[in-house]
Amino acid sequence: MDKESFLTRVGEYQKGGWRLALINATTVPAADEATPGVFEVTWAFAKDLEFETIRETINQADAVPSVSDFFGAAFLYENEIRELFGIDVTGLGLDLKGQLYKTATRIPFAHSAVKARIEAAAAAAAASAKKA
Amino acid sequence: MKRTVIPFGPQHPVLPEPIVLDLILEDEKVVDAIPTIGYIHRGLEAMVERVEYTEMGFVVERICGICSFMHGMGYCLALESIMNVEVPDRARWLRIIWAETSRIQSHLLWLGLGADAFGFENLFMHCWRMREEILDIFEKTTGGRIIHSVNRIGGVKRDISDSELVAIVAKLDELGKAFDKTARVFASDASIRHRLSGVGVLSMEEARAVDAVGPMARASGVRLDTRLTGQNLYDQLEFEPVLETAGDCLARVVVRMREVRQSIDLIHQMVEKMPKGEGLPLETKVRGMPSGETFTRLEQPRGEVVYYVKANGTKYLERFRARTPTFANVPAMIKLVKGCDLADVPNIILTIDPCISCTER
Repeated sequence: MDKESFLTRVGEYQKGGWRLALINATTVPAADEATPGVFEVTWAFAKDLEFETIRETINQADAVPSVSDFFGAAFLYENEIRELFGIDVTGLGLDLKGQLYKTATRIPFAHSAVKARIEAAAAAAAASAKKA
Repeated sequence: MKRTVIPFGPQHPVLPEPIVLDLILEDEKVVDAIPTIGYIHRGLEAMVERVEYTEMGFVVERICGICSFMHGMGYCLALESIMNVEVPDRARWLRIIWAETSRIQSHLLWLGLGADAFGFENLFMHCWRMREEILDIFEKTTGGRIIHSVNRIGGVKRDISDSELVAIVAKLDELGKAFDKTARVFASDASIRHRLSGVGVLSMEEARAVDAVGPMARASGVRLDTRLTGQNLYDQLEFEPVLETAGDCLARVVVRMREVRQSIDLIHQMVEKMPKGEGLPLETKVRGMPSGETFTRLEQPRGEVVYYVKANGTKYLERFRARTPTFANVPAMIKLVKGCDLADVPNIILTIDPCISCTER
């Protein structure tokens, strides 16, 4: 992602009186074994009746810049995507140091964790079908 | 000055659900607060990987026992948007009748908890007695007091007969009169004013700066209510959000009290305007697999909830995300706690009406 232009766009939303409605990440699995999976990160802004988003696709090792300088409430979403997805966020307004969520799986939406869960569910379904 | 750290929670008399705030104190003043949640994180969003989209609505309803109906409604609206499903008119009206009824029960529940927190046991009992009557309405019309399971992708599962709707409106009118008496105590009792007035003040500018939502924002004078978008038939109703300007704990109580009255009025309007008759269609049959993505917003009792759904043409969704109002109000809660007296922390936290189950999913 082009961090500079991204932050410029976020700054424009803030100057325009928009509020941060959501930061969301989605684990997008690889299309084949040779390609690594990516994350889609979406920043959603609302103003009165309008709702707009900025979408960035990032690689697993990439970091995203914090938008805390523009939206003070961003720290919660940013700590969340770091803890649940393992996405590195630089310049966090308030770093909760991994204490936001207590989860059984360390990074539950990491590509490896999602893959393991889907494979386990498929194996369980196959075993159940065989039994039936 | 020497600083002391006091852990507030996870178990505390004012907290119905567990959350921790590490309060950093200088003498009796809170100078910082670090939140920790996750004690009831159930990983419901991850269940889309193994629960079919047609059944996921029942999981989503279980995010929270107070906002259960509206979570189910929000999920169905998102899928209907992706699959271009037109919901029959009567089903749309029934949904918002149940939604406003949910708001009444949620606010009554919270007013009771609030009264209990500031030591007014009788008010707590009155509020919860009235809430039981709302739960009776839910039981009669949906079959469930807490989890209703009437929403389906494409409509609703059950109808409420016209005569039953008239009876519900009459019952709500009676309840409104009883509520007015209780509301007068909330608004005028000296001990309540002493505990809440001028405490935990969030100005309009601060509310905007921390992106507060729901009664939290409206008590600070911010005209923010998703129902103003006119979606879900609210454009056909006379509706103006309840606003207060003081921004303190008392203002947040008053907003919720006035919203109970407003919801009763809205249900009146809905029953008058909805299409009448028995046997009207309630559901559009949905076929195929969803493909696409959408954001859906609703005004829950605690404020704006945003649902994100991404579907990939299979029976399992790729992503489901619920950004609940309490999650959005956590920064406001931290802002309010900083600088207050330790003794005021419980009331400040409670007047946000935190729903931790919703926040953690």
